[in-house]
Amino acid sequence: MPGEVERLRRGLRLLSDAIVAFSEAGTDYHLLLDAVAKNVANVIGDTCVVVLREPNDDLIAGAIYDRDPKVVADLAILFSGALGAEGQLARHTMLTGEPRLIPFIDLAALKPSIAPVIHEALAKIRVHGALAVAMRVRGQPIGVLSVLRHREQLRPLDMIDCELLQDLANHAGLAISNARLTDQLRESEAIRAAKEEALRANRFLDVVIEHIPDMVFVKDADRLAFTRFNRAGEQLLGVPREDLIGKNDFDFFPAAEAEFFQAKDRETLNNKQLVEIAEEPIMTANGQRWLHTKKVPILDENGTPVYLLGISRDITDRKRADTELRRAKDQAERASKELESFSYSVAHDLRAPLRGIDGFSQALIEDYADKLDAEGRRYLDRVRESAQRMALLIDDLLNLSKVTRSELNLRTVDLSALAATSVASLQRVEPIRNVTVEIEPNLSVEADPRMLAIALDNLFGNAWKFTSKTEGARIALSAVERNGHRAFAIRDNGAGFDMQYANKLFGVFQRLHSESEFPGTGIGLATVARIIHRHRGQVTAEGTPGQGATFYFTLGTEAEA
Amino acid sequence: MSERVILLVEDNPSDEELTLRALKKSNILNRVVVVRDGAEALAYLFARGVHASRAADEIPQVILLDLKLPKIDGLEVLREIRADDRTKLLPVVVLTSSIQEQDVVTSYGLGANSYVRKPVDFTQFVEAVRQLGLYWLVINQPLPT
Repeated sequence: MPGEVERLRRGLRLLSDAIVAFSEAGTDYHLLLDAVAKNVANVIGDTCVVVLREPNDDLIAGAIYDRDPKVVADLAILFSGALGAEGQLARHTMLTGEPRLIPFIDLAALKPSIAPVIHEALAKIRVHGALAVAMRVRGQPIGVLSVLRHREQLRPLDMIDCELLQDLANHAGLAISNARLTDQLRESEAIRAAKEEALRANRFLDVVIEHIPDMVFVKDADRLAFTRFNRAGEQLLGVPREDLIGKNDFDFFPAAEAEFFQAKDRETLNNKQLVEIAEEPIMTANGQRWLHTKKVPILDENGTPVYLLGISRDITDRKRADTELRRAKDQAERASKELESFSYSVAHDLRAPLRGIDGFSQALIEDYADKLDAEGRRYLDRVRESAQRMALLIDDLLNLSKVTRSELNLRTVDLSALAATSVASLQRVEPIRNVTVEIEPNLSVEADPRMLAIALDNLFGNAWKFTSKTEGARIALSAVERNGHRAFAIRDNGAGFDMQYANKLFGVFQRLHSESEFPGTGIGLATVARIIHRHRGQVTAEGTPGQGATFYFTLGTEAEA
Repeated sequence: MSERVILLVEDNPSDEELTLRALKKSNILNRVVVVRDGAEALAYLFARGVHASRAADEIPQVILLDLKLPKIDGLEVLREIRADDRTKLLPVVVLTSSIQEQDVVTSYGLGANSYVRKPVDFTQFVEAVRQLGLYWLVINQPLPT
């Protein structure tokens, strides 16, 4: 029968093609199943369903192929789970190991024994023949290759198809089994890698937790016993972690503290929410400390709290510093208030007796003129001078204390105008003085206007005073550059001073001239210096005896004091 | 016509005597009523307590008010003077030792008509009192009574 020989030859060729295709699909399990289905369908014809045995002995459809995609779609129902009655043919084949050939299927007779949807699908594609062979590897059935015939024009399935399919099944079974093993290997490799990764992550976490400078602890949700403690925690409590693990708060802390801690723990676990305690005292082996603590619930995959994570920062030092700062501030405020009331009473009470001394001396001079000789009157004049000088000293000291204490109100100030005002009031007191004053116009600065006025009053007052014995007295204010900064110079051609004593100029009660030469309290320049320093500026002086002095000052050039 | 007196509120006896002397030297001849603390000042102004029997029509033409006073201080006295209809328009000259800024500001804030610092130099003190007397008793036109 040349037809059969031809069929066999063709079949063998297709078989060898199929085997090559299987090996090409390699160890990719799903690719392989598809290749098997496709090749079987090509070799034997019509539809191929690869049925596989699951570890629990269920049978499932592993792959399906038909060159008509519509048929594949119609049979998709087979992939909805384990095969039922429709898998009977396959199951029987697998158990007996015998191929089953059904050249002609009577669908109507089959109807009662299979699910209606399956029957419907089979009817839809008009199945009229079927063939199933077992795939066995090392004597064990791993599945079944089944072929459905539905095309009318093809001849019925016969024994040659059956033999061919068995050959294919033998090869496919081996390939599928190998691919499955490889797949399992791959899977267990992935699990091992995942486990290793988890271990690595855990080790990483351990190191992180161990070295966090805050106390980190974990309690189990049931008993609130410590299950974990880091180094900072050991150091804070002064207890090694071996002594802590497995114990709870009541084993270490005073009852009231332990109750508070656990109440917060319960709150955290019950509400499944972070609880923050801004300040809590804790008794440790090293005395009482203060903590800022966060408590976090750790939930399992069902949302049940299993652990409580606590992170506590030791804020004792900060708290202590805060308290000390507050105390220092209170003290400073109190001192400042005291100083204020002190100056207030100095301003009022110290002057009254001086008025008495001066006034009654004058009364003596006036009312008892006939009983006093010249010497007696001179003494009384000296008493009055002293009283008045004392009054001046008090005023200057109060001024000095005021410029030290009062708040700085910086704004843009017309320095030239302030200087002109100073000079005008000096001229008003001594109208007969003839001094040439030059003030550079429009000098604008950032300063406290009242304080700057006091500084200028003093500087111009000095220049005015020390030029009192100079012919053609001159005083000038101008902007200059000193050490790269904008500075202001007040220059006079008066008595000047010896540079050797320049460092004494700005000290309180320091004077370079005798009272009889030039009167003064020795507080004016100290006041100037204080004002300029409060403006973050510098004041310096240059002078030559008999040739005048120059005072330089800057504003806002120095770092904050 | 009612008598135009000067009310001097002063606790320091030296200052009191010097002020009276300065007034006299300035030829100010108005009678000077001296009260020595804030409480007495208010008692006089509202004719109560020790001053309950003073002449009802006796109205100070000017009040010379010290600030630092026993019992009730000058600023409080000023506050009460300005708060009462009977006295709120009386000229008040703060005459005190200090020119502490807070005192000056508060005094004007409470309605002082003038703020004068007592100079230590008696010559200047006399001059200040003379000018004060001249202004408030002669030049200034008082409120009609």
